[in-house]
Amino acid sequence: MSVTVTPQEFKFVAYDAALIRRVTEQLLDSLGLDRDVAIEVDETTPLARTRVDIGDTIAIRAESGAFEDTKRPRQQSENATATALGRVLLRVKDRLVGGFGEAPPDEDLSLAQVAAWDTYCVGRLNRLGIATNEQRWRYNFRNRHGFTDAADEAFDKLWFSDNLSWGELEAISTAIPS
Amino acid sequence: MRQFFPVEELARDERFHTISNRERMGDPRTVFQTGEQSRRSNRLTPSRKDASDAARALMHGIFVGEIQALEGAGRTCHDFDTSTGTESRTDAVPFALKLDMARQAWDEARHVEISVRLSDWMGSEIGQFAENTVLFEAACSTDPVLRLAGVNRALEGLAIDVFTTMKEFGDLAGDPYLEFCEDWMLADEVTHVKMGSDWLRRVTENDPDRRKKALEFQSVVDKLFSYGGTRSDSEESPIGLARRFRELAGFTETEVDEIADVSRAALDERKAFVASARTS
Repeated sequence: MSVTVTPQEFKFVAYDAALIRRVTEQLLDSLGLDRDVAIEVDETTPLARTRVDIGDTIAIRAESGAFEDTKRPRQQSENATATALGRVLLRVKDRLVGGFGEAPPDEDLSLAQVAAWDTYCVGRLNRLGIATNEQRWRYNFRNRHGFTDAADEAFDKLWFSDNLSWGELEAISTAIPS
Repeated sequence: MRQFFPVEELARDERFHTISNRERMGDPRTVFQTGEQSRRSNRLTPSRKDASDAARALMHGIFVGEIQALEGAGRTCHDFDTSTGTESRTDAVPFALKLDMARQAWDEARHVEISVRLSDWMGSEIGQFAENTVLFEAACSTDPVLRLAGVNRALEGLAIDVFTTMKEFGDLAGDPYLEFCEDWMLADEVTHVKMGSDWLRRVTENDPDRRKKALEFQSVVDKLFSYGGTRSDSEESPIGLARRFRELAGFTETEVDEIADVSRAALDERKAFVASARTS
């Protein structure tokens, strides 16, 4: 498997393409994904969205904010890089081998579905040893599912799960009373 | 205790990383779009895909802003002599004005504590985001009237806009703590702006030139605090102008229109800067 990063040299931010490649290789190894990855960083925006196309090569387009150290603007954070790429690659793995065949395309996911899937992904990243702030993701989940005990219980189920299918994830998310 | 404390020497522990406004505005990246796309809304609402992260970042900005507002109000209590109230000296202020600044410092200290709790609730850590020290810089003027204009009217006016946006965010998202806390802090900010407006008028009652200078300074600070259009009437700005609460704080409609104009100008200048940085 190969990992390519563009651009190789950054103009607007002080990022390191080699670090992005190394983090990606470690993630692919940890997740058992054997496929080429091409990462394109859009350094013209500080936003933090990531998009992915799954083909023979996994093509990831990330906005520069996704890899940024929020304490030091325009500098790269290894943890943010690992968290952003880890979320993307776990979603890819779920779609390829994890029983998420019937999940809608990324652009058709609702905000609640994205929050539920993110929770499931970041909980697993946490168990892989990538430092995460659980409360950040709980707050994100509450914003989409409500500030209730039922929403918190659903969050805990997703966070601590390892082998959910799309149907199971969707059931946990939609079972929360509004 | 020393007077007129420089911004570079503000006490911060290792968790904080401060940046200047020049550094912040020198970032050539932007969330603003050009051409057809420029009409899309960037307003901070729960419907934004990045809503919770954007709200967390703004909450941290509020937190460090409250620290600097506390430092600024405290400084105004201490940096100047006490006048009788009838003379127009730039090195002295009436005792009652100092009392108001002391009350404001007390309010800001409470806001800092509330902001820490809210940041924790939202999943942020103290110092997780860079601290822009431009707010305290506006509180460093050697003329107390300029401080009232810059801090109480411009900075606290911005706080009204920010708290209104966050209160509405909490309300729409159903976050009971955020909505409640922002509402209470908003009430304090309205009072702080009103105090600044009242004292500005009283202290410069017989000195129209000084009042004019102070209002010009406020306009400069209002533009700075628009952060390149982060706050304006435009839907492109994440933070709107809270016209109703500004009226309650003593701003006239004309004054709010003027702030809207300088904020819009700041937005346009920011977009022009980014366009130029991208082509160079």
